[in-house]
Amino acid sequence: MGQVLVRLLPPLGLTMVLSITALALATPLGLALGALRAELSDRHPAARAIDAWVFFVRGTPILIQIFAIYFLLPKLGLQPQLFVMGVGALVLNSAGYQIEIGRAAVQSVPKGQWEAALALGFDRRATLRQFILPQAARRMVGPVMNELSQLIKASSVLSVITLFELHKAAEAISSANLRFSEVIVVEGFLYFVFIFGISLIASALERRLSASGALEGAGSFAR
Amino acid sequence: MIFDWVAFFEYLPRLIRAAGVTLQVSLLSLGLACLLAPLLALARLLGPKPLRAVAQGMIEVIRGLPPLVIIAFAYFALPKVGVVLSGFWCGVLALGVVGAVYAAEIIRSAIESLGRGQLEAALALGFARWRAVLEILLPQALRRILPPLTNEFANLIKASSLLSVISVHEISQVGQSLIFETFVVIEILVQMAILYLIIIGSVTILSRRLERGLGA
Repeated sequence: MGQVLVRLLPPLGLTMVLSITALALATPLGLALGALRAELSDRHPAARAIDAWVFFVRGTPILIQIFAIYFLLPKLGLQPQLFVMGVGALVLNSAGYQIEIGRAAVQSVPKGQWEAALALGFDRRATLRQFILPQAARRMVGPVMNELSQLIKASSVLSVITLFELHKAAEAISSANLRFSEVIVVEGFLYFVFIFGISLIASALERRLSASGALEGAGSFAR
Repeated sequence: MIFDWVAFFEYLPRLIRAAGVTLQVSLLSLGLACLLAPLLALARLLGPKPLRAVAQGMIEVIRGLPPLVIIAFAYFALPKVGVVLSGFWCGVLALGVVGAVYAAEIIRSAIESLGRGQLEAALALGFARWRAVLEILLPQALRRILPPLTNEFANLIKASSLLSVISVHEISQVGQSLIFETFVVIEILVQMAILYLIIIGSVTILSRRLERGLGA
C-alpha cells in the first residue's frame, strides 16, 4: 500500500498543477465575462456569444468538451501538448460555470447601490468599478474556492485522453498489479484529503464573508 | 473542413439508440438516488449518534471523490468481495449512490432552511420528533427540494457519460468508438453534443418550470 501511495504522489502533483493552472486562467476570464454579461442587454452580440458558451458548457458533459478539444484542434492543424489540451478543456469548462458565478454576484448587489452611486453623480462605469464590483467580489470568493474542488474532480476525466494525472496513473498501476481495490482506496484517499481540505478552507472563508451575504457554493458531482 | 451530411445521417441512428441507453441509466440511477437520499438525510438529521456519524461520513467521503473513482470502485473492487454486476448495473449503482449523497444534502439543507421555529412549534404542540420532521418539516421542505433536485438530475445525465470507461454503450462510448472506427470526427462530435443538449436542456427547462410553479 505504501508503495502504491509513493507511486501516486507525482500524478497527484500533476492533478494539482492541472487544476490550479486551469483555475488561475478560468477565474479572471469567467468572472470578467460574467460581470460584462450582467451589464449587457440580452440582444447584444457579445451577450449572445457568452450565453452560447455557457449553454454549451452546462448542457454537455465535460467528457464531450474534452473530446471536442482533443479531436478538433488537430483537425484545425494544431498539435498542442496533452497538458495544454487538458488545461484548455478545463478552462473551457470552468470559465463557462464561472461566467454564471460572476454574473450572479454582480446582479445580487442590491439595486439601491446603483441608484445611490448614480444619484451622487458617478457614471455607470465608475459605479460598476468602484461600488458594485468590490461588493460582488466578496460574494464570489466562496463559489470560486468551490470551483477548485470541482476542477480537481473534473480533471480525473482527462484520463480518457491518456493524460497521466492521478486517476490515469491509478488505472495503469492497478491494471499492472491487478490489486484494484487497494489502488482505488489509495487513490480515493488522496483525492478525498485534497478536496475535503479545500472545502474546509472554502467554508471557513464563506463563514467569514457570510455577514456580507456570500453566495452559497453548493457544488455538484458532474460537469 | 466540410460538414459531411451523408456521414451525419449514416451514424445518427446508432447514436440515437445510445441516447436511449443514456436515458435508461440516468432514470434508473435517479430512481435509486430518490430511494436512498431521504434515508440518508433522515439518518443524518434524526438518527442516533453512531448512525448519524456513518451517514455524515458517507456523504462527506463520496462528495470528496470524483465520480469516476466511484464508478471504477463499483466495477473493479466490488467483484473482489463477490458482488459481480454488469457494466450497466454497476453504472446505475455508482451513479445512484453519488446522486443520493448530493440529493441528501439538498434535502438536509432544505429542512434546515425552514428555521428552528417550525420544529419548536411542532414539539411544543406535543408532536414526537420524527413525526414533526415527517409531517411538518418535510412537506414544507419539498417545494424547496424539487428545483435543485431536477438540477441534480441534469448532473446525473452528464455523469452518465463517464460510464463509457466501463463500456456501457451510452452516447459517449458509442460516439467515441465510432470516431475511432470511421475517423468521422466533426459530424459525430456534433451529434453527441446535440443529443446531450436536447436531453439536458429539456431537464433544465423542466427545472425552471418547477421553480416558477412552486414559487420557491
